[in-house]
Amino acid sequence: MNIVARLAWRNLWRHRRRTWLTVGAMVFSNTLLVFMISMQFGMYDLMIDNTLKVFTGHMQVQAPGYKDDQKMRQTVPDIVPLAGRLRAEFPTEKIAARGWAFALASSEERSYGVGIFGVEPEYEPQVSSIPGLIAEGRYLQQSDAPEIVIGAVLARNLRVGIGDELTLLGSGRDGSFAAAVATVVGIFESGVPDVDRSFAQMPIVAFQDVFFMEGAGHQVVISAPTLEEAERILPDIDAALPSDEGLVMHDWDALQPGLKQAIKADMSSAFFMYGILVVLVAFSVLNTQLMSVLERTHEFGIVMSLGLKPGQLGRLVMLETAMLGLIGFVLGAIGGVIVTSYFSANGLSIPGMEEMAANFNLPPRIYFQATPWTMAIGPFVVFVFTLLAAVYPALRLHKLHPVEAMRVN
Amino acid sequence: MRMLPVLTRLAWRYLWRNHRRTIIMVSAISVGVWSMIFMTALSRGMVDQVIEDGVSALPGHVQVHNPKFLDDPSVVNRIPIGDAELSRAFSSTDFKAWASRVRVPAVIASEYESRGVTLLGIDPVAEREFGYLSYDDVEGRFLEDADDNGIVIGRKLADKLETRVGKRVVLMSQDPDNEIADRGFRIVGLFDAEVPAFEEGNVFIGKRTAQKMLHIGDTTTEIVFLGDNYRDIEPTYDKVLASIDGSLDVSRWSEVATYLGSMLTVMDGFVLIFMVVIFLALSFGLVNTLVMAVFERVREIGLMLALGMKPSNILGQIIIESMLLLLVGLVIGNLLAVATIHPLRGGIDISVVAEGMEMMGAASVLYPRLYVSDMILANVIVLFLGFLASLSPAWRASRYEPVEAITKVG
Amino acid sequence: MTAVRCVDLCKTYRQGDEDIKALDHVSIDIEEAGFVCLSAPSGGGKTTLLNAIGGLDMPDSGEVWVADRRIDQMSKGELAELRLSSIGFVFQAYNLIPVLTARENIEFVMQVQGVPAKQRAEQSLAILEEVGLSGLEDRRPAEMSGGQQQRVAVARAIVSRPALVLADEPTANLDSKTSDELMTLFTELNRHHNTTFVIATHDQRVMRYAKRLVRMLDGRIVDDIAQDAA
Ligand SMILES: Nc1ncnc2c1ncn2[C@@H]1O[C@H](COP(=O)(O)OP(=O)(O)OP(=O)(O)O)[C@@H](O)[C@H]1O
Ligand SMILES: [Mg+2]
Repeated sequence: MNIVARLAWRNLWRHRRRTWLTVGAMVFSNTLLVFMISMQFGMYDLMIDNTLKVFTGHMQVQAPGYKDDQKMRQTVPDIVPLAGRLRAEFPTEKIAARGWAFALASSEERSYGVGIFGVEPEYEPQVSSIPGLIAEGRYLQQSDAPEIVIGAVLARNLRVGIGDELTLLGSGRDGSFAAAVATVVGIFESGVPDVDRSFAQMPIVAFQDVFFMEGAGHQVVISAPTLEEAERILPDIDAALPSDEGLVMHDWDALQPGLKQAIKADMSSAFFMYGILVVLVAFSVLNTQLMSVLERTHEFGIVMSLGLKPGQLGRLVMLETAMLGLIGFVLGAIGGVIVTSYFSANGLSIPGMEEMAANFNLPPRIYFQATPWTMAIGPFVVFVFTLLAAVYPALRLHKLHPVEAMRVN
Repeated sequence: MRMLPVLTRLAWRYLWRNHRRTIIMVSAISVGVWSMIFMTALSRGMVDQVIEDGVSALPGHVQVHNPKFLDDPSVVNRIPIGDAELSRAFSSTDFKAWASRVRVPAVIASEYESRGVTLLGIDPVAEREFGYLSYDDVEGRFLEDADDNGIVIGRKLADKLETRVGKRVVLMSQDPDNEIADRGFRIVGLFDAEVPAFEEGNVFIGKRTAQKMLHIGDTTTEIVFLGDNYRDIEPTYDKVLASIDGSLDVSRWSEVATYLGSMLTVMDGFVLIFMVVIFLALSFGLVNTLVMAVFERVREIGLMLALGMKPSNILGQIIIESMLLLLVGLVIGNLLAVATIHPLRGGIDISVVAEGMEMMGAASVLYPRLYVSDMILANVIVLFLGFLASLSPAWRASRYEPVEAITKVG
Repeated sequence: MTAVRCVDLCKTYRQGDEDIKALDHVSIDIEEAGFVCLSAPSGGGKTTLLNAIGGLDMPDSGEVWVADRRIDQMSKGELAELRLSSIGFVFQAYNLIPVLTARENIEFVMQVQGVPAKQRAEQSLAILEEVGLSGLEDRRPAEMSGGQQQRVAVARAIVSRPALVLADEPTANLDSKTSDELMTLFTELNRHHNTTFVIATHDQRVMRYAKRLVRMLDGRIVDDIAQDAA
């Protein structure tokens, strides 16, 4: 250590309590920032994942306008062969075709309106979590059997079990009356009441028969191994679509526009709080460094009368602050890493939050996202603001005149 | 107590001896307090709106159902008491507003499309008070009475069904014998709602028309009551409990929509945690300031002790100094909060994230809500925790030995 | 009655490896209405003895009695009470509270004692006049000369008419005229109010006013003579 650095280091420890309190403010904020940012991004990941994996997938091929209107007529023609061709061309992606219609489902005792998905039984499990959530019976097997799987709440409301028959009444693609009878072969339970109450799935070929789809469907769902991979491959798949039918490709953000915005809204309120924390730490540092400059006025006066320039003293103050900030950074980051790695391994559950969590498609336990970025960004910003806070005290040194400075005390 | 004026004067003078430090600390406290109140007002605004919209989307602060209805919302599980009897039972009571209605799931079909909806068979006159829809803003007209033969649906639903005022739609549901009950209606009105799900999911027909269609005589599926406001419904709840057949299920809105109820609780917890966290961030600076303030006048503290001041007076003096510092910060912070929230009372346009807010059940304009109770909470937290934080430096100050303090070099 | 009685006081400071005996078996009785000058070379133990008498510092051994009460075993609270009610202090340095004006400094003790505001005002203005500081009542210590500050400290020590005044170099910063005036004031208080004075000083002129002159050297009393006051 050169003499200036040694001087700065010694000065820092003239008031141990003050230095530790200032460092304490940094460590508190840094730990908290790391904790919150990791939790936040862990939560966003889960929100995206959970929302997309239920039905939406990472992207979908649809007829233009279908995304907003969901009309029966807005179809993708020859959807099963199309899905098959895409599967062959993009073997790494999970691809499945679907149709969707609305119908009144009646059992012996009850009638309820439900959304009915026509799905490819062999590929649907790859793009949706629903087939994996069968609680009773089995999932669909053949693509043309008159079978149906329904949600647990719906089954309870309709008072049907495995093997019972449901009558479906709705309108077909051309608006004509559509009716069919299907046997309940499976009951799924996702735990999200809305999902369990309002959906049913049947094999796509049977679906096309019932609703006069003539081979068409409404969406080709595509799931990539990761979100990043999805973004990368989207243009390729888009280019592989038949050019004459005007089909459109939507990414997950277009399909679930609420998701990104909900995240954005949440982020802006979170960052408001982070901002306040950082500002408060900066005040703390400003206070400490200004005190430390003012109480050394006499001393600085002597050194300046010996020929040191205010700029050199200013650098000394900045160096002290940087050391202070560095201690805060390191200790805070360590604290943050400990907390975060605990929660990214064990998860955090907030009592009373389960219901809220379910509403946002979150599991009751949140696992933190521990990446270098989520761990470093908070402490880094605090460090920068720490340095900024020392600028004013450092600049004050320029106002110091040796004689006046020495007269103090 | 006699000492209070002396100590306060000393504390105040000392506070401004090092005015730069005090100003910095006051700024920090003000910013902290401002952020506590401001942030709370915004969050409250959002959550209140979600809850209010949620409450108005299932109108009625207190609701009465057949005990089986909430789990199995079928016309089979209706309330076995007819309207005639209800009117007689409630004619002598003084509820702010009450109504019985038919609410069952149904399917609506135009010539092109069909969708699942909630069918609401209502008496528009009795339900006007509930205020979930402004009848006058409906395109076309709203239902006129319980015998109205028309149907009023949301604009979004009409778009999806490719239909409009004057066109016909078919409504399908089930009657108590599980026969499909269907009936054609002419659309007489289209309504708009803040919350899209409400606009898409509900259709209104006359109550007696619904009863005829579903073959249920003069019975209904729910009876709803309005309290003074959604936070204060206990009196109404008690009155309903007392005046209704014991075999029926009486629930508060927070029980029907448990999600909304728990949101209120979670919000209260969040506000508290947020405030405490901000205070903790502040507390380091506060303690630091006090430690410095004590450190630089050890000698004077020694002098006061030597002159016959008791250690408890020194303790009191430092605590008063801390309280004064906090008070100045609080006053500025509170004023700042009011000054920044007041201009925003007309609402903050957050339509950039409208669909995200919709996902959370909120609308695209955010109205901050400044509750006096939240302001008080922020101030109490700062003063109380600030008091605790000053105990240690104040205690140390009062422990000095007069001679050592006086002869202290430095 | 004796105003102050010290019995066999010892006080040792450790300074590095060597022990400094600031008080070395000091015994002294000071009668009521006594006027004692303590003189010793610098480091002789004057301040240490005054502090022991004032209950500010505990001797290592020995007894201290003030107004026939043994104080070296009193609690801090009792000591504070005693100082407040019956002892006036003038310290060698750092006498005044810097955030208070001259008058507020003088009234400080009375205020702690609970004297009503009107009486405080009268007494403080009167005493300011007596020490020759009329017109300076609203100055803060930083705005006064060393001698003026010293006089404010003296005024504070005597304003509430304590039975015992302990003054450590009260004239250190004063010219001969003002220090004579101050000593005259002390003498009058001593005569009319029977106030006991113990004054530590190097100043020959101050010693002239004393009824009794006590010389110390290296923590021991080496000389104790009665004299006719000037
Ligand atoms: N807190 C202390 N720690 C160590 N030594 C001390 C302390 N206070 C006093 N002493 C020593 O005790 C001895 C007596 O000190 P004291 O202050 O009583 O002298 P004094 O007669 O008042 O001198 P002066 O005329 O310079 O004020 C001195 O040698 C001094 O160095
Ligand atoms: Mg001395």
